[in-house]
Amino acid sequence: MKIQKANAGILTNFEVLDFLRTRGAKVDPMGCLGLLLHQSVYEYLLKTPACNQTRESIYEFVKRSEGFMLAEADKLNVINWRPSSAADAYAMIEECGKRFSRDYRGEACDEDKRVQEFLDMVKEVLPPPPPKAEAEAMQE
Amino acid sequence: MPPHLLSRPLPDAIKTELERLFLDKVIANLGLCVSVYDIRSIEGGSIHPGEGCSTYKVSFRLLMFKPFNGEVLVGRIIGYDDKGLQVSLDFFSDISIPGHLMQFGTVRGPDGRWMLKTEDGDELYLDLDDEIRFLVSSTKYPPIPIDQKEDDPPFAPMQIVGSIKGDGLGLLAWWAADEEEGRRRQSKSNSIVLL
Repeated sequence: MKIQKANAGILTNFEVLDFLRTRGAKVDPMGCLGLLLHQSVYEYLLKTPACNQTRESIYEFVKRSEGFMLAEADKLNVINWRPSSAADAYAMIEECGKRFSRDYRGEACDEDKRVQEFLDMVKEVLPPPPPKAEAEAMQE
Repeated sequence: MPPHLLSRPLPDAIKTELERLFLDKVIANLGLCVSVYDIRSIEGGSIHPGEGCSTYKVSFRLLMFKPFNGEVLVGRIIGYDDKGLQVSLDFFSDISIPGHLMQFGTVRGPDGRWMLKTEDGDELYLDLDDEIRFLVSSTKYPPIPIDQKEDDPPFAPMQIVGSIKGDGLGLLAWWAADEEEGRRRQSKSNSIVLL
C-alpha cells in the first residue's frame, strides 16, 4: 500500500456524523446492527453539539468568524464543542487572550468584551446542544 | 480480491475488502481508521499465476480518527492510578492524563482518587464516569512489542496523552454554571462556580 497523501483534509464532528448517517448508522438500542465501530463513533458523536448542527450553520459560523482571526484549529474546536462561557472559549482557542486583544481592524480592544462578542455570535449561529436527558437530573 | 466476493458489484466487493483490512485498525502516525470514506479509482483486475483472486490497484480515502495537538475532546474517566487518569471516548479508550498535565494543585487523595484543592479549600474529586474535557497534548504510536508477559496490560498501538491544565478544562461539572438554560449542575462533591 502506498500512502498518496497522509492528510487529505480535516472533518468536523458534524461532517463525520453526517457521513455515518449516510452509511446507515442509527440509534440502535439492541446493539446488534451495523458495524460495531461505526455504531460506537455514531453514538459518541450524538452526545456532542454536532448532533443538531446543520451545514448552513457551520458555513455561517465560518463567515462570521472572519473578523476574529481564528486559526483553523480554533474554529474546529469551537464548531465541535460550541463554547458558551469565557472559560470554554479559553479552553478551545489557543492564546485566546492575545487573539482577542485586537479587533478585526487590528486595533487594541478590551479582550473580555471581544470574547463576549464572539460567544454571542456562537450562541446565535450554532444551535445549542439539546438539554441532557431527564435521567441525568434524576441521577443527581 | 478473494474469489468468493467476485459475484458482487466490484466497488462493493472492494469496499468490503478495504473495510476488512483497515476498519478499527491503527495505522502508525495516521490514526485509527473509522471508515472507508470513498473509492476514487479502480484499475487492474489481473489474475496472478497460481492464485484464485484477482488483483486491483485501488485509490481510496479513509476516514481516520486522529485528533491534532490542541484539539479539545470530551470523554469519561474510566480509571486512575499513580501516574494519572485513564479516559475513554467509548470507541477509543487509550487516553491518559498524567499527573503533571493536570490543573496546578491536583494531588492523589488517600483513597487513590485524584483531587484538586481549590483556593477556597474545596476538594474536587475526579471520579470514575465523570465527564472530562481535555486538550490533546500528543499522540504516540509505540512499536509492537516482541514479547509480552502474562500480566502486561494489552498493547495499545495508539496512545493519546491529554492535558487538563488550563481554563475551561477538567470535569464538565466544574465549569457548567449559570448557562443560558438557567440550570445549575451539582458536581459530585460540591456545587461550585469557577471564574
